[in-house]
Amino acid sequence: MKTKVNESGLSPIWNWKITALSFVLLFFVGILAISFGPVSLDFEKIIRTLFGASGGLTGQERTLLLDLRLPRALLAALVGAALATSGAVYQTVFRNPLADPYLLGAAAGAGLGATIAITSAGADLYSLLPIFSFIGAILAVLTSFFISGKFFAEPNSLLLSGIAVGSFATAVQTYLQQRNSSSLRPVYSWILGELTVANWQIVTWSSIYILIALTILITVSKQLDGLMLTDEEAYSLGINPNKLRVIAVIAATLATATAVSASGLIGFVGIVVPHLVRGITHRVTNRGLLTIALVGASFLVLADLGARTLLSPAELPIGVITAFVGAPFFLVVLRKKRMVSQ
Amino acid sequence: MINVQDLNIRLGNRNILSDINVEIEQGKWTCLVGPNGAGKTTFLKALLGSQPYSGSITDAGVEVFRNHDRNVAFVPQHPQIPIGMSVSEYVMLGRSKRDGWGNESKTSRSLVADVLKLTGLFGMQTQFVSQLSGGEMQRALIARALVQEPTLILLDEPTSALDLHHQIAVLNNIELLKERGVTIVSTMHDITLAAMYAEKIVVMQEGRVLLHGTSDYVIHSPELKSAFENRINVYTLESGRPVIVAKKDERS
Repeated sequence: MKTKVNESGLSPIWNWKITALSFVLLFFVGILAISFGPVSLDFEKIIRTLFGASGGLTGQERTLLLDLRLPRALLAALVGAALATSGAVYQTVFRNPLADPYLLGAAAGAGLGATIAITSAGADLYSLLPIFSFIGAILAVLTSFFISGKFFAEPNSLLLSGIAVGSFATAVQTYLQQRNSSSLRPVYSWILGELTVANWQIVTWSSIYILIALTILITVSKQLDGLMLTDEEAYSLGINPNKLRVIAVIAATLATATAVSASGLIGFVGIVVPHLVRGITHRVTNRGLLTIALVGASFLVLADLGARTLLSPAELPIGVITAFVGAPFFLVVLRKKRMVSQ
Repeated sequence: MINVQDLNIRLGNRNILSDINVEIEQGKWTCLVGPNGAGKTTFLKALLGSQPYSGSITDAGVEVFRNHDRNVAFVPQHPQIPIGMSVSEYVMLGRSKRDGWGNESKTSRSLVADVLKLTGLFGMQTQFVSQLSGGEMQRALIARALVQEPTLILLDEPTSALDLHHQIAVLNNIELLKERGVTIVSTMHDITLAAMYAEKIVVMQEGRVLLHGTSDYVIHSPELKSAFENRINVYTLESGRPVIVAKKDERS
């Protein structure tokens, strides 16, 4: 495969058209998401309402748009961007194309936190579920860091301790669920991922953390190229590889923990989106990372639209959609790629 | 001038380098030779400044450890091959310290194009580095070091895993750096090649410097034979060039 060349006969680092296209994609997918549902809204009226012009939506439609669909689409976009970007960053840091955002115990930790919130019905902690799962995710990742001890010397030891911490948290979670069988359903539906809870409050706080994390990651995205070299090469080219790894993992974990606590465990985004984008931009670091964030956002907004409309008025868990649609799509792409390279 | 004094490196409870004292001359090619496990690669990392050490290594009077003001190029023996990076992007990484990561100035672009031509890679600048052969990859590494315009280049076994033809091509490319006044420190298995190209040779064994000096001096020193347990013979060609050949074990 060959890349394009510029005027000096070199191949450019960044094709801005791809990034611009992903912006456009996100915009259109967003419009689709807030227009369609059990009740379809008129596009022109939506625009009028959003810009406060006259002739907009009626009272009930207005509530539907502003209090339900808009925060939900925004949350889906934020979570999608967070998971896809973190996935790409973990894959680069651990030099493992199968690394995903939940790998260091974030998923299991968040699951345990959520289960504690759901099962402790007596204290009515359900409203604190996002906080519990956020703390659970962060604590699990910190424990993995603490146990692995020598992250710098051997990145794989961090992965392994992440797996151990994850298994332990899952075991505790299962035990709690068994003791409180009435909680099985809510825990299960949370695990499959849900954006039904989206409201402006959740959008606000999750956007703060996710945008901070994404800003950090996009800022260091060019230097992430250096993590694809040996540590000595990176050092000689002006990078402190260990420091960069720590910054990248902390920011990616913050984004993941926030996404998980806002929307449950939505699988597949963190692996599929980076791989799809890599098929076009060839790599996930550098300016490819911004494209991944945008495509991840579009992917999840679209998946949520499917979750809301496919079995309307019933709603599918979004995790089911991402896996159900994402997995075959991914396989087709892989197969096509293999046929091209043969 | 790089001055190495009482350099010691311990990893765990192993002494990797012990009491190294050498001077590395500015603008000259110094070659580290010795058997596997002699500590050559660790010595290179210490010279780079990324490896903690005790003792002192000064470059132009300044301690090298974590000194980011220096511009040192490093060519590893086993490079990590980045995914989805074209040859020209890979070589452009050499400009990262000057232009900032991911940016490329006009000067850098024309420099990279020149160096690609110089190293015979211009025809394949749009290919991915993952598609390069061993010899081409080695040239890409040297090209990246060239555009880095370093004051010092460290090369770990730059010719291992290359056939003779490519070895010479790569060594000639390294000589391009010397012509630009760059100090070169490399490790090399092949002492004959080391003697052919390097001005200075440092013979290492089990983390210590056994002998060092001009190539001529080292090659003809009886201590060289003892460093290799008398398993080598040194011959001199008509041209005056020395050739070091391994002895075949004699079985009685």
